[in-house]
Amino acid sequence: MTPPSRPTYSALTSSTDPGRQRLDRLATASITVGAFAVLAAILAIGIFLLWESLPLLSLAGTFTLETLSPLAWGTLKAALAAMLLALPIALGAAIYTALYMPPRLRSRVKPVLEMMEAIPGVVVGFIAGLILAPWVERHLASTLVLLVWLPLSTLLAGVLWHSARQSLRKRLPFSWAGLWLTPWLIAMTFIALWATPGVEHVLIGGDLRQWLDQQLGVNYATRNAMIVGMAMGFAVIPSIFALAEDALADVPTSLLEGAQALGATRWQALWKVALPAAGPGIFSAVMIGAGRAVGETMIVLMASGNTAIFSTSPFEGMRSIAAAIAIELPESTPDSSTYHVLIFAALVLFLFTFLVNTLAEVVRLRLRTRLSRMGDRG
Amino acid sequence: MSRLWPWLCAASVALSLLMLAALLTLLLTRGLGHFWPATLESVTLDSGEIIAGEAVRETPLPHRDGEEQLYFTGNRDLDGNRWRWVAIDHIAERGAPRTLVRLERSPWGDFIGYLSAFESASERLEGDAAWHALTAALAHPTRERPSATLVLQSAAGEMLRQPLNEIYRAHRPNAMSWWEKTRYWSQGVWQFLSEGPRAANTGGGVWPAIFGTVLMVMVMSVIVMPFGVLAAIYLNEIAHQGRLTRLVRIGVRNLAGVPSIVYGVFGLGVFVYGIGSSLDAWFFSDSLPSPTFGTGGLLWASLTLALLTLPVVIVATEEGLARIPDAQREGAVALGATRLEMLTRVVLPMAAPAMLTAVILAVARAAGEVAPLMLVGVAKLAPQMPVDDEFPYLHVERKFMHLGYHLFDTAFHGEDMQTAIPLVYATALLLVVIVLVLNLTAIFLRHHLRHQRGQSC
Amino acid sequence: MLAPPHALNAAYLTHFSAEQSCLNIEHFSLAYAGKTALRELTLSVPRHRVTAFIGPSGCGKSTLLRAINRLHDLNESATHSGRIAFEGEDIYADDMHVSELRRRIGMVFQTPNPFPMSIYENVAFGLRLQKRMSKRKRDDIIEWALTSAALWDEVKDRLHKSAWQLSGGQQQRLVIARTLAVQPDILLLDEPASALDPISTLKIEELIRNLKSQLTLILVTHNMQQAARVSDYTAFLHDGKLIEYGPTDQVFTNPHLQRTEDYITGRMI
Repeated sequence: MTPPSRPTYSALTSSTDPGRQRLDRLATASITVGAFAVLAAILAIGIFLLWESLPLLSLAGTFTLETLSPLAWGTLKAALAAMLLALPIALGAAIYTALYMPPRLRSRVKPVLEMMEAIPGVVVGFIAGLILAPWVERHLASTLVLLVWLPLSTLLAGVLWHSARQSLRKRLPFSWAGLWLTPWLIAMTFIALWATPGVEHVLIGGDLRQWLDQQLGVNYATRNAMIVGMAMGFAVIPSIFALAEDALADVPTSLLEGAQALGATRWQALWKVALPAAGPGIFSAVMIGAGRAVGETMIVLMASGNTAIFSTSPFEGMRSIAAAIAIELPESTPDSSTYHVLIFAALVLFLFTFLVNTLAEVVRLRLRTRLSRMGDRG
Repeated sequence: MSRLWPWLCAASVALSLLMLAALLTLLLTRGLGHFWPATLESVTLDSGEIIAGEAVRETPLPHRDGEEQLYFTGNRDLDGNRWRWVAIDHIAERGAPRTLVRLERSPWGDFIGYLSAFESASERLEGDAAWHALTAALAHPTRERPSATLVLQSAAGEMLRQPLNEIYRAHRPNAMSWWEKTRYWSQGVWQFLSEGPRAANTGGGVWPAIFGTVLMVMVMSVIVMPFGVLAAIYLNEIAHQGRLTRLVRIGVRNLAGVPSIVYGVFGLGVFVYGIGSSLDAWFFSDSLPSPTFGTGGLLWASLTLALLTLPVVIVATEEGLARIPDAQREGAVALGATRLEMLTRVVLPMAAPAMLTAVILAVARAAGEVAPLMLVGVAKLAPQMPVDDEFPYLHVERKFMHLGYHLFDTAFHGEDMQTAIPLVYATALLLVVIVLVLNLTAIFLRHHLRHQRGQSC
Repeated sequence: MLAPPHALNAAYLTHFSAEQSCLNIEHFSLAYAGKTALRELTLSVPRHRVTAFIGPSGCGKSTLLRAINRLHDLNESATHSGRIAFEGEDIYADDMHVSELRRRIGMVFQTPNPFPMSIYENVAFGLRLQKRMSKRKRDDIIEWALTSAALWDEVKDRLHKSAWQLSGGQQQRLVIARTLAVQPDILLLDEPASALDPISTLKIEELIRNLKSQLTLILVTHNMQQAARVSDYTAFLHDGKLIEYGPTDQVFTNPHLQRTEDYITGRMI
């Protein structure tokens, strides 16, 4: 077959189609401009918050402090309560999923757990504030018992399993325990709910809430720190879980197997090898979780009772910075001192979460390169 | 003990799954169950009083042994209450007469009782004939219904005259077959999705909120997609991959973790008070002091959420771009393609699923976000929809309704929370379903994408 | 061969006159990521011949090939000195149109990289970048290119199927066809058969021998036998420097330098 006639080439320095080159340069320029617009918008957030907080310098410092300190305390209290619940569950789940679960099951369970993160805060807040809070108020003793009883009953399940016959242990392998423990936990919950009121009656002769009030003078608010902790804990579990699980799964299996080959149990291998190796990743997971807990607005708004008070009691409410901004900012006129204080509060939130997240991200990236190097060597 | 620690870890997974399942089950049963026509009871008390209503729940009596039952009795125009607590041991007789009627009405909420007559201009029907006339009249669209009056009788015997045009639906649940109940249920779900709220959010549907949410995320996507994609292309394809680019990348990633309320503050301060007020001063000065753009509205909300979802879009798009092997880029360039041609003909088509994932994730995030909207533009009840037949058809300065905010508002600021809660459940379910479906689509797309790429390499 | 034009060239460095060669590399050095990859390379490539670059891994042979196509532009900022002249014009000149240059110097990579499009669209890709042409003419060129790449008979019934469904060897020939379609003067081949099975490799080698009537080919390979089988001239590079350059027969059977012999006989890897 004869080749088609060759196109006539002009000199390379004068393109046959100059429009293409011009278009290319134009496109590159506009992409760059677009990208810098994005960067400018991002920077504008920080600049705006800073600028609008400046007028506070001329105000008496005590005003700002007086307004913000109960809010800061409320924010810390809510975040602390949430982390108290979320940390053990998220880290436990991450350890189990990364190290004990068979890969197929893991690839199913992980997206399901991460799906929790997508549930809007307003829905969690509604359930916590209007459904969970009144229920817990009616069943305070049962709730407290559940918090202790569920872990205990799990240990009981472990003891039973280890003393069970080999055939049963094969049928209910530990690697699937994350699934088959759910009916066990449901059963244990019902047992606790059924048994507690009787015990409560015998021990303190009535309702725990009244007893707390009369005997110890503890005030119980329907929407309180404990409820916020539960709801926001639920909301931050998935973010901590996802990152911690990634960090643990990135630990090269050769390391774990090496430790086990030396006679360590899987749990010892985890404790001595995997956790130190994945430590920075877990740290950054916790940081991200904390950042989320500090900034979450709707859950605190709906489940906390919104009382700006100093109180360490888990049974009393609080108001967080984010919730205060959501409620008070639309009602304050621009240029009023409240307006500037609230903007300053937003700046604090912004800086705090941004710094915490950057720290977490840097630590995570460091860890990732370190682990991949370790994996290469192993 | 070291053998038992892993059990606690396993239980953490089980507990998390359990909590998620419990939440979804709760929303599903309560959200969908509300539309099911529940059996109406006629209850005779020891005192001889007769009430009629739907049994809602039983709880222990607060000050003595025994249980009490909560009834939804409706008829707020007769006794000012909708609810009635009755101690179980005070009940002499419970029955479910087939003729008990439940009417959904506008100003006073539901009526539960008996239909004694149907009076139109020409005739007066009683008994079953009245019921048939009523259902026939309700089958017509609202505007074509004949003017008529119903004569109603409550369980206690009080008489009431009720104009027909205030009635939306009527049913006699005790006389309905299973099939009829299913049909009535699906009609109820449809009305919830397609109608506006009424009776202070305790009845009706959420259509304006669905519409507002969808419109807002659409406007937002139109704003965020070009900028997000441009920024991602710049970071991945054009920028020198040095320390600065790495820092910018980390910065962008971390913006995703900045609380949404901060974006709301920025939107209020810059878009509403800053740009909006200036626009008002320049172009809409005749309508001042009532603000046009100087107050929260659709445009400002969309812009704020666009800023909020920008990191989501950039990160997801960049991930897609980074996945495309350099060999594809070099192949295009080696054939004489300019960078623009390489991008538009090879790289961007290959990154299309990633960009789709990005927009879906952004929409999912925006649909569930409420806090920033409280500052920049939602309304409890928007009198005007942001889209109508009046030029320029899309009114970006108007306030709009949003599903998430509607949920918050109905649940926490309603006059009658008890009555509204079933609808709040339904709204929450709808919101969760929308967000989860969007997220599942994104996960599926991403998975599919990895799979496909994996095979080719 | 002709007498060397300048004194640097010893007998073991063949040189070609301007009429004989289409590509002249003069004192070319290149550094990237802080490392010098090419040092003071001088060599000219004869027209309508197959020239092979051989040498141990990391010797800079692929880097040189990519430099000829200015592919380092895409990556991190690489710095260079010296000159590469294509038909007398410095390809690194400021007013050079890189995309025009790359069209006339085609390149085929180590792993086949067909675009995620149909076979037809893959070959049409380069054509569509240029001035509009009639569909008939385009079809003709595509058929010619696929025929030249010895692929036409295998794919003529499924031109509109995805190119990713082809086997590795077919994909590589498709990539060659795609490059031929824009009718380049030079075809750069960067280890084009290293990812292929022996039979596909033979097909590619045969193709390379057949193509030299149409254009100039430069082949980078670390397969000695392949270089010996297909190339007319061989350049041996080591540590970024040109060690020996001459007719393939001579380089392989009677190299001037001990280092070349060591490498070819496998004593130095």
